[in-house]
Amino acid sequence: MQIDVGYRPAPAMARVQLAAGESIMAETGAMVGMSTNVHIQTGMGKRGIMGGLKRVFGGESFFQNTFTAQNGPGELLLAHSLCGDIVPLEMTQAGFLIQSSSYIASAPWVDIDTKVGGFKTFFGGEGLFVLKATTTHPGQILVGAFGGIQELQCDGDLVIDTGHLVCWDATLDYSVGKSAEGWIATFLSGEGLVCHFRGQGRIWIQTRNPSEYGGLVGRMLPPRKR
Amino acid sequence: MRYELLDTPDFGMVRAGFDQPGEALVVESGAMVARDSGVQMKTAMRGGLGSALKRKVLGGESFFQSTFTATAPGQQIYVAPGAEGDVLPLELDGSYGVLLHSGAFLAAASTVNLDTKWGGARGFFSGTGFFLLRCDGVGPLFASSYGGIHAVDVGPEGYICDNHHIVGFTQGLRYTVTKVGGLGSFFLGGEGLVCRFEGQGRLWMSTRNGRSLAAFLHPYRRVQAKN
Repeated sequence: MQIDVGYRPAPAMARVQLAAGESIMAETGAMVGMSTNVHIQTGMGKRGIMGGLKRVFGGESFFQNTFTAQNGPGELLLAHSLCGDIVPLEMTQAGFLIQSSSYIASAPWVDIDTKVGGFKTFFGGEGLFVLKATTTHPGQILVGAFGGIQELQCDGDLVIDTGHLVCWDATLDYSVGKSAEGWIATFLSGEGLVCHFRGQGRIWIQTRNPSEYGGLVGRMLPPRKR
Repeated sequence: MRYELLDTPDFGMVRAGFDQPGEALVVESGAMVARDSGVQMKTAMRGGLGSALKRKVLGGESFFQSTFTATAPGQQIYVAPGAEGDVLPLELDGSYGVLLHSGAFLAAASTVNLDTKWGGARGFFSGTGFFLLRCDGVGPLFASSYGGIHAVDVGPEGYICDNHHIVGFTQGLRYTVTKVGGLGSFFLGGEGLVCRFEGQGRLWMSTRNGRSLAAFLHPYRRVQAKN
């Protein structure tokens, strides 16, 4: 499998070249185009109905598509829904934690499990739902951002706004909490929730926050009917 | 007419310079950014009422198109699409025509013929607005899209493109609007309808689709209070 990302950063698109018989698993709706010999199969992933339900809870769709090149090599074009960069990451022993809406695609043998960020994040309105990607074989995952992507190095500890997270090395410990001392100060600061990281590892951030953008534009749109 | 593209792919804009008086550029309504004051503007229902209605109703384009005509050599005009994204320049030489997805038309020399063509019932009933603008003749033609524009040369094996990502394709390619995978993929897989292209030609697709942005923003709208 060969992944090339073009049109970076704002309208980035990934071109995945599949060898005969090779597959890739992708988020529903990510397909832009493909060769005619690529076959789509829609399923609930390896974890069945429970896995599907957990994904819905994590803000993902219930189903995932598996694209397979049949009778020869094939290509598949994948893109993110919002404007922003896309990066392919090489899987590591420890794996990655991915903010759920940043996930685009992964090698089919990479196990993608939904973790819920805890009830505090859920009620904070800025829910941090993360997917855990692990594998015993080498492989790639594809993540997408809203805005640009920056790779930060966490050496000790680091605080990051949950709305700017793309993914991080699973070697890091993380906890979601208030950005200020109390809830009122947190609310007034407009910073929402932050993620505290401890340990050694890489963290990829997006330079724009989707819910900030949604809030900014949404206010200017005519109200919708209940 | 000479032209230059500025700020592509993120915020593409066309700067066109007229070589002689009488040269004209037909521009999608609202797309003019700037022009020399000597360039004459005429807004009309191009091709008369019947043709304009057909374009509006079938093609989803604006009812009116503006024609900008040079009155002296060296005059310039700047043209840009509404959304952020790339501009695709095509130099038509009479040997081939291009079919553009409704809404992808930005501008064309007045020597380019524009005609609305129906894309087929299937796209129509699915609400994907699959209408096409047929462009042929001689001269520059500019298409635009939300996002980048990716070109694929379609060979004997054909190519599949998501309906919402089609910008345009060369005339002569055969296409069928179809669903991908089984019924399960159609209803559950979120990939919707695709266009299957066959034959020899070139296909252009956009790397983003405006509907995804709209779907993302929708939940952020305020909810109307009940009366």
